[in-house]
Amino acid sequence: MNLKSFIECERKSLEKMKRYQLPNRFKKIGIGIIIISLVTFLVNKFSIENIDLKLTAKYGILVGLLLVSISKEKIEDELITSLRMQSYTFAFIAGVIITLLTNPLFNYIANIISQKQQENFQEVGDWEILWILLSVQVFYFEFLKRMNK
Amino acid sequence: MKNRLKIERAILDLTQDELANKIGVSRQTISSIEKNRYVPSTVLALKLSLLFEKPVNDFFELEDSEMPMPNTV
Repeated sequence: MNLKSFIECERKSLEKMKRYQLPNRFKKIGIGIIIISLVTFLVNKFSIENIDLKLTAKYGILVGLLLVSISKEKIEDELITSLRMQSYTFAFIAGVIITLLTNPLFNYIANIISQKQQENFQEVGDWEILWILLSVQVFYFEFLKRMNK
Repeated sequence: MKNRLKIERAILDLTQDELANKIGVSRQTISSIEKNRYVPSTVLALKLSLLFEKPVNDFFELEDSEMPMPNTV
């Protein structure tokens, strides 16, 4: 393999990562959707209490987080690609551990405090799992970027 | 991996921003390489080599612990 084809090979592998990403402006759109959904969720919780609106707001938060997660940075270079991959790996592992441990642990403590039986044990829903995965990824990626400044 | 990026940059009298612009990365990437927090790809190392007009080995060097094991056969 000569030098040119070697460089071309590495460039193509970096390009593949960028194929699944949205332009940088989608990050702001994502943040906007998160804020609107959060406000809707809180207003609904404390005044309206409409189930459909609550569900829409919850999924709005997920869509917003996904947009932030897959949007490119202003300068999307190899360091950012590497940090992004680290954050996805961390989010996957942290998400599984949090899902496995946190809810049963909180339920266990709640059961001890309230002296209730184990049948009140609650499962983690799809929204909670996705929310944990996406928020851990987004916040850990921001943390890594700040650490590398 | 040890590197002499900061020295080579000083020889050319370039700021981190200027060097970053010349090789198409962010200032953050240059800073991370200089602080040994990030090991660049071969492509980036070769771009730096072209800019400094020196072989990669002149400014990137393996640590003793990273040296390949001698052939024991």
